[in-house]
Amino acid sequence: MYYKEWIKTRWYLLLMFLATSGFAGYCLLRLHRVALIKGMGHMWEIMLTHDVVFVDYLKFVPLVAGLLLAFVQFVPEMYHKCLKLTLHLPVSHLKVVTQMLSFGVIAILACDVLNFVILWSYLHEVMAYELWSRCLLTALPWYMAGLAAYLLASWTILEPNWRRRVFNLLVSLLVIKIYFICDAPASYNSFLPVLLVFTLALLILNWISIARFKEGKE
Amino acid sequence: MESVISCQHLTHYYGKRKIYEDLSFEVPQGRILGLLGKNGTGKTTTINILSGYLKPRSGVCRIFGSDIQQMDPLLRRRIGLLIEGHVQYQFMNIEQIERFYAQFYPGQWRKDAYYELMAKLKVAPKQKISRMSCGQRSQVALGLILAQNPDLLVLDDFSIGLDPGYRRLFVDYLREFVKAENKTVFLTSHIIQDMERLVDDCIIMDYGSILTQQPLQQILDTFHRFTCTVPEGYELHLSDAGLYHPAVIRNHFEVYSFLPADEVRQRLLKAGFPLQGELSSENLSLEDAFIGLTGKY
Repeated sequence: MYYKEWIKTRWYLLLMFLATSGFAGYCLLRLHRVALIKGMGHMWEIMLTHDVVFVDYLKFVPLVAGLLLAFVQFVPEMYHKCLKLTLHLPVSHLKVVTQMLSFGVIAILACDVLNFVILWSYLHEVMAYELWSRCLLTALPWYMAGLAAYLLASWTILEPNWRRRVFNLLVSLLVIKIYFICDAPASYNSFLPVLLVFTLALLILNWISIARFKEGKE
Repeated sequence: MESVISCQHLTHYYGKRKIYEDLSFEVPQGRILGLLGKNGTGKTTTINILSGYLKPRSGVCRIFGSDIQQMDPLLRRRIGLLIEGHVQYQFMNIEQIERFYAQFYPGQWRKDAYYELMAKLKVAPKQKISRMSCGQRSQVALGLILAQNPDLLVLDDFSIGLDPGYRRLFVDYLREFVKAENKTVFLTSHIIQDMERLVDDCIIMDYGSILTQQPLQQILDTFHRFTCTVPEGYELHLSDAGLYHPAVIRNHFEVYSFLPADEVRQRLLKAGFPLQGELSSENLSLEDAFIGLTGKY
């Protein structure tokens, strides 16, 4: 199953890894340029007094990346109901869907880890632990939003009924809003474990879409 | 003979619209059964129910004795499915798609059968399926089914979008494979001439029910068109369950029936029909028989 998903998404995955890494690199370049002119002490001061984290450019990047991955992965499945072929394979439907989604989740997590490694590798050299961890923890809900966007978009795309698809879309928008309620840096810190569990639980929604597809709820 | 497919008392509605009620049929092992019907009579609905993508409102369908809705996934190894329009994964090329499917059918996958058919296609091995013509895609879909080597083939409107050459290639390859390996086939098609070359048995559906299920040869041998002349201006008032779609055009009368000519003559006379001269009887092609049974409109 992973082979099929790889064939389908490999060029997009390359683009996703390059683009998100590029955005992360751009944030650091911006920070580095200002630090060269004003000095790193000035940067620390701004971070502490003005609640700035210097990674704001990344805010919606994981969201867009997750959405596009869901499109690239699941629109071809729904094209001419190609999903019927996938569900006709001699494997349990639960396993098929879980494998398809786990491919996407692993790809997004790998991309996220790469982004965090890029950010950490520079930030920990120029900032105190409290400051660089604040930057990364601020960005973490945005990356979870990317994962949520992927799972919610796949839930919507796999839904066989158009009216229900619109409903799913509206619910998805409300759910995504949760990840962007508060702009203050590190404001989600105490909520992060719950948010992570909630995000992964969104996977279950996709099984509902598949069950409805199987019952012919068009 | 053992039944590979057994559907009992199927009833299905789309919203409030009845598709059919209490529909029952069986497909014996080793037979090629064609499902014929006008648009909207429920052919694709039946295929969807059979392939497990539609839950009927009531009734049960069994394949190899197993209820489709609770089928063991491994049993799907024995069922080859062709989706309407020869749909396959568009983003793959012919090598990738073969490699992908092969892993799911260990011990039964026939790579050679697939590549034998692919050799007839004038496509590069790396050409994506999305860039193939409908005819070429149909051969890829057929090649994959031949490689899967299933015991039962379910084919939904296999002739759609194919030119006569590809249709003939598809039918000939399929028939040779099915007869040589004693496979069972359940199929639908809009092109009835193809069915005539391929099927052993026919189910002809009308809105809401099955009109007849018989061996093809039996239909061709026993179902006839009867014609005669009638007085100009004659208004037809004929209602007999054994006489299908009687019609008068000017002074020409026609009716279809499974009954022998004498029986038809007697029934017409009994109904007060102004029979003048001889009642001619004609043998029919499957397409004519289909129209005779379902009507022109």
